[in-house]
Amino acid sequence: MHYPWWHVPLLTAPMLIAIVSVAHVYVSMYAVGGGLFLAAETQHARRTGDRAYLAYLRDHAKFFILLTVVYGAITGVGIWWTIGLASPLATETLIHAFVFGWAIEYVFFAVELAAAFVFYYYWDRLAPRTHVRIGWIYAGAAWISLVLITGITAFMLNSGRWPQTHAFWDGFFNPQFLPQTLARTGGALLLASLYVNLHAALRIREPGLLAVVARRAARPGLLGAALVALGSLWWYAALPASARLALVGAAALNILVMVVLGASGVVLAMLYLGPYRRPGWVTPGFAILLFCFGLAGVGAGEFVREAVRKPFIIHDVIYGNQIWKDEVESLRGRGYLAGGVWTRAWLAARHPEVVTPGGAVDESALAALPAEARLRIGEVLFEHHCNDCHAARAGLSAVAHLAGGWTDEMLRQLVLHPERVQFFMPPWAGTLAEARLLQEYLGSIAEPFPAGLPRGDQFKAEPGAGGRADAR
Amino acid sequence: MAMSLIGPDNPLGHPAPYWFLVLFKTLGFTLHILPMHLWYAGLPAMLLLRRHGGEHGRRTADRTLGAMPVAIAWGVNLGIVPLLFTQVAYYKVFYPATILMAWPWLAIIGLLTVAYYGVYAYALGLRAGRLAPWRVAAGWSAALLLIAIGWLFANAFSLMANVDGWRGIWNATGFAGAVLGTGLNTADPTLWPRWLMMLGLALTTTAAWVVFDAAVLGAGETPAWRAWASRFALRLHALGAAWFAVTGAWYVFGAMPETGRDALAAGGWRLVTALTAVAPGLVWLAILIVARRAARAAAGAGPTPGRAAGILTLGAQLVVLALNAVSRQVAQNGELAPHLDVAAGRVNTQLGPLVLFVALFVAGLGVVVWMLRQAAAAAAGRRRAGEEAR
Repeated sequence: MHYPWWHVPLLTAPMLIAIVSVAHVYVSMYAVGGGLFLAAETQHARRTGDRAYLAYLRDHAKFFILLTVVYGAITGVGIWWTIGLASPLATETLIHAFVFGWAIEYVFFAVELAAAFVFYYYWDRLAPRTHVRIGWIYAGAAWISLVLITGITAFMLNSGRWPQTHAFWDGFFNPQFLPQTLARTGGALLLASLYVNLHAALRIREPGLLAVVARRAARPGLLGAALVALGSLWWYAALPASARLALVGAAALNILVMVVLGASGVVLAMLYLGPYRRPGWVTPGFAILLFCFGLAGVGAGEFVREAVRKPFIIHDVIYGNQIWKDEVESLRGRGYLAGGVWTRAWLAARHPEVVTPGGAVDESALAALPAEARLRIGEVLFEHHCNDCHAARAGLSAVAHLAGGWTDEMLRQLVLHPERVQFFMPPWAGTLAEARLLQEYLGSIAEPFPAGLPRGDQFKAEPGAGGRADAR
Repeated sequence: MAMSLIGPDNPLGHPAPYWFLVLFKTLGFTLHILPMHLWYAGLPAMLLLRRHGGEHGRRTADRTLGAMPVAIAWGVNLGIVPLLFTQVAYYKVFYPATILMAWPWLAIIGLLTVAYYGVYAYALGLRAGRLAPWRVAAGWSAALLLIAIGWLFANAFSLMANVDGWRGIWNATGFAGAVLGTGLNTADPTLWPRWLMMLGLALTTTAAWVVFDAAVLGAGETPAWRAWASRFALRLHALGAAWFAVTGAWYVFGAMPETGRDALAAGGWRLVTALTAVAPGLVWLAILIVARRAARAAAGAGPTPGRAAGILTLGAQLVVLALNAVSRQVAQNGELAPHLDVAAGRVNTQLGPLVLFVALFVAGLGVVVWMLRQAAAAAAGRRRAGEEAR
């Protein structure tokens, strides 16, 4: 509306955010947990003089750098780019609200980067004490960057007092900040444990050393699991009412939550029974399976975290379809098409007869347009108002299927009161005439009622009309 | 009826005064392009040098190629700063421009990941002393990908200033009023000279780096190699500076909108513009002096250029890059002037977070310097031990 809307066929643009986020989180959490592991274990190995373990840690550090400094760092930028493309208004607002949070996070990135390179490339050249100290500098900087980004992402789920005060610290220390920091710290430790087990199982040939690595890596993993459990319960308690309801009310989220719980349970059991109690169980197959369950749990958890925000992209501030919450009132009065820079420009270029010299849209002229033009405008309304969650004819939550067999009246109610049909949809932000055009467009693409299925209006008896309960 | 495509002000206002935002944007860009130039023009130049440059050329190339993964890491990291402040101060043009070319813009992430791993594959092979053909192919592929990424960046940032070109791309790649995100700014006459100009400047930075490497990091190398490296840097810089001059003139006098040129010639900016144009020549003179001294040293007729010579040369190049960054900003503001006043808009300074950022920036810099000093001391210690053993 205020920015061009990016049409991504089938998938919808915001779904790319979820995909890139998950791809990034798989490594960014390891970048934190792995850093803590390497610092603590290098200190231990140097203190005990365990040369074999130290050699393994050096090998692991190389893998760690290759994965986190390249893939992790670039996909982190990737998330930022994707949100800017798919949710520009929200990104613009987050950056205006938290630019110094991000800038501070950048400082810690820079420290992380320098520490990671010095830690690895000067492994056997630095004095042991300095080497360990630099390992801890990396770990500290990485954890602080986790804390900083969590303040911003948690704000998107529960903005707390910020909508009233617009104060940086009110936004940063939001109700979700501590629970998510706890859960993410735990997740980072847990995921690092799985990465170390996987790497060790694939790289170490000596069973005794593998057992040492597996058992030592399991400890922070088990601690992480406890933190995840605690943080998740707190996360649930600090959810806004809409998010809590979405979590239990949306079937897709129910399934994802079950995946999170199921995968987490399996990971916990495997980690405890395998690497911790019987490290001899750790083989490449075991480690790969453990790792995959971990990725499934983390990935599903990230999808849940993204999805429960609906209808908002920033809780209580901006809706998923890139409209300020405070803007809806005025858009319902002056019109959605006239209210958006790009929608207004499109209409003025294609149908100048309905746009007044002042940029307003003439409702009666809009209603008098030929049917084809009305459908085209309805499609424009759909793209900008609805495509953030719904594909049109085919693809993700395609409305043609969702509204299959709906009557005109049902479609009218859907357009005028989407939040009443599903509370996690944003309210209609246009005029009645625009609603009519969107309704016509939806009606034109909606699939017919599936053949062969009985419809209520085919039955002769009205519900509760006094017929016999048992027709036999 | 053509309506403006510039969106409304963000109601939160700028979190800091415009000068602060643009200062960090320009500073960040200057620091970003120093390592970025090494992989942009330095990578293909060094790959060619390794193949055709003889024994000394190979040594020069190996040293720079070995450092390339670290250069990319720093280049990417330092690129976050200008991009962050761009999104604060120039959001009204940044988001539309990148959304219009969303897929090519997003593709940079994938291409950069592949290129970065290609560079690592090459550098690790170099380090192990075994450059298998696939590693060489990975290095060359990375070089080509990084040049392509530069072209995509030039597209996005020239499109930011080409507001009049948005509508054409929208019409060509539109879908139901939305955009497919497949556009590129190829119809803009500034695109090609901007891209090529950066390549020329990147060659001069690579040359300055070679001088720095020979004088500071390569202190243990032979005087003959150091003399060769300085001579090579002189020629590489001359090529880059000439390229920069030609493409820069094309950009400013043949492609840039008049409002951009006017901005570059306005008031005190005229001096900055003139300095931007001549400064690469001053660095060339500095390299010439270093090269002559290195040649004399190789002939046994004088001391080898010391660390100061290398540090001063790279420092001078940093000034060249800073001048370039400032002039680019002035030109961009001039090109945008008919559409928006970038310095206008409400300011709602977030003083506490701003002060915290500046304090942590200084503290973080201190920690990084401490770590680098530890590394340098460790490297010097090992070198001394090696010399004693010999």
